[in-house]
Amino acid sequence: MEILNLITSDLLYDLARGPLVWISFLILILGTIYRTVKLFSFTRKKKNAWPVSLPKKKAPDGDTDKSAPLIPKWKFTVFGAHPVMISVSTVFHVILFIAPIFLLAHNIMLDEAVGFSLCSFPEKVTDYMTIVFLVCGLFFLLRRIFIARVRAISSVYDYIIWCITVAPFLTGFLSYYQVFDYKTMIILHMLSGELMLAAAPFTKIFHMVFFFFGRFVLVTQHTIGKGSRTW
Amino acid sequence: MNEQKIVEIDTVKIKKRLKQRKAKMKMSLSVCARCTLCADSCFLFNNNNKDPKYMPSYKFINSIGRIYKRRGKVDRAALEKIREIVWKDCVLCTRCYCPFGIDIPDMIAFARSICREQGVYPTFED
Amino acid sequence: MVKGQRKPIDEITGALEKYSNVLNIGCGGCVSVCLAGGQKEVNLLNAELESIYKQNNISKKIEGFTVERQCNMQYLDELDDIAGGYDCLMSMACGAGVQYLAEKFPGKPVFPAINTVAIGIDREIGIYEEKCRACGECVLGYTGGICPVTRCAKGLFNGPCGGTNKGKCEISNDISCAWQDIYERLKGQNRLDDILKIKEPMEWKNQTQRTIIQEPYMKRYT
Repeated sequence: MEILNLITSDLLYDLARGPLVWISFLILILGTIYRTVKLFSFTRKKKNAWPVSLPKKKAPDGDTDKSAPLIPKWKFTVFGAHPVMISVSTVFHVILFIAPIFLLAHNIMLDEAVGFSLCSFPEKVTDYMTIVFLVCGLFFLLRRIFIARVRAISSVYDYIIWCITVAPFLTGFLSYYQVFDYKTMIILHMLSGELMLAAAPFTKIFHMVFFFFGRFVLVTQHTIGKGSRTW
Repeated sequence: MNEQKIVEIDTVKIKKRLKQRKAKMKMSLSVCARCTLCADSCFLFNNNNKDPKYMPSYKFINSIGRIYKRRGKVDRAALEKIREIVWKDCVLCTRCYCPFGIDIPDMIAFARSICREQGVYPTFED
Repeated sequence: MVKGQRKPIDEITGALEKYSNVLNIGCGGCVSVCLAGGQKEVNLLNAELESIYKQNNISKKIEGFTVERQCNMQYLDELDDIAGGYDCLMSMACGAGVQYLAEKFPGKPVFPAINTVAIGIDREIGIYEEKCRACGECVLGYTGGICPVTRCAKGLFNGPCGGTNKGKCEISNDISCAWQDIYERLKGQNRLDDILKIKEPMEWKNQTQRTIIQEPYMKRYT
């Protein structure tokens, strides 16, 4: 009971909508910068071990190239192997970023706080986005629980990160529709959102940066483009 | 023939090794999202009825990941378990795919080199 | 490791022309490391073939399987239950793997899908350079770690030929003279005496098949 009282208290409410917001954003921004700088400091510019330009081979006289079929490239990407997972994952990550940023309520508050705001989606759109997001989240959860290969490398930590990511959306949705006690829900929404922001740079959520670094900057077998750095 | 000498596991030395390559290892272990998209890139995984223990991520989390988690304080039994993972379940064909670009083969090779240094390696006799 | 390169698709389709049930076998060893014949290349080649056959309305079944190493019978044994259902086998392994596979299934035609090119090193991801011709008489100790057999177009053992031209080989200005490089390196190490001694011509042993028995195992087999 006392915990409930604390959660619904004005003190926590003020804290969550005031200083904690700024603190969590500060942690997110500084933490991300810190760890990204670290990434660069851990790696170095790759020297080309092959300075000689490759001789351009002329195609043989035959028409080998003409007969070579066009196999759709995506078939051999991870999308070809797991189309559902990749689609769900893409949708999930896109909504994760754009829904909160272009949510009307967030922008109104931003406007009130700093007198500046971004454009917003209609509320219906963000509403549907949230539902889609939660369905995607559920997909990930079920996958983690029921698919043997995912279960084999899942730990409590993975479930905690799942909760941290999904909670702000769930509580936001519930508070918007005023399911359960609104004040409790909105406080939980703010707290969980702040937790997610603060956790991002220092947990596995940091893959948000590492993905771009690992696939576009580092030189590996699977680099997209040329890459420029190496460990 | 190479007689595998039973020597005391030198945890200080392991710790030193871990420190040498800490940055890459720590980052790789920390950003792995446990998404299992690496699984199908391993032919051993496909050949063995998609047994999760052949997943590249499983192998690197349970080898170098385990050593790092205990900060090098592993005993012989633990290293012998890791030996099975990094030599029996992986041939280091270096073809694992990770959507984030984690260099899994290098992590497995690192686990191998730590094991080797501690006198834990396959003898090809059994 | 051994380095290889995929054969042109026409050569492969030509080899498979008479067969309708093909098993394409990859290798998880060297050819996987050099991106020529691992699981991924097996899948890619199969897809390419399937699409060619589809275009030309040819009905053929092509399936793939990758073994750990085709140069070891223990791993080829995995194919026992699988290979029976196919009327020909295609191997994406090196020449050694192809031959061992053919030896294991003497009743089945076996076709190589890659050309084995060299024993080499990884210069970059996807760029490999020949370093060794497996001549069986290593002279690197006195040539400053530069192989005259691989690097010199003539495989000379006692200094450059008359065609050496300002450090370049007479066959191309893009190729540096191996013996010039050997000289420079040994000079830097103060070891020029090493190449002043006349080195007898090599008894080329790769005319007949060579076999190695590692010393510790000699007792087992003799």
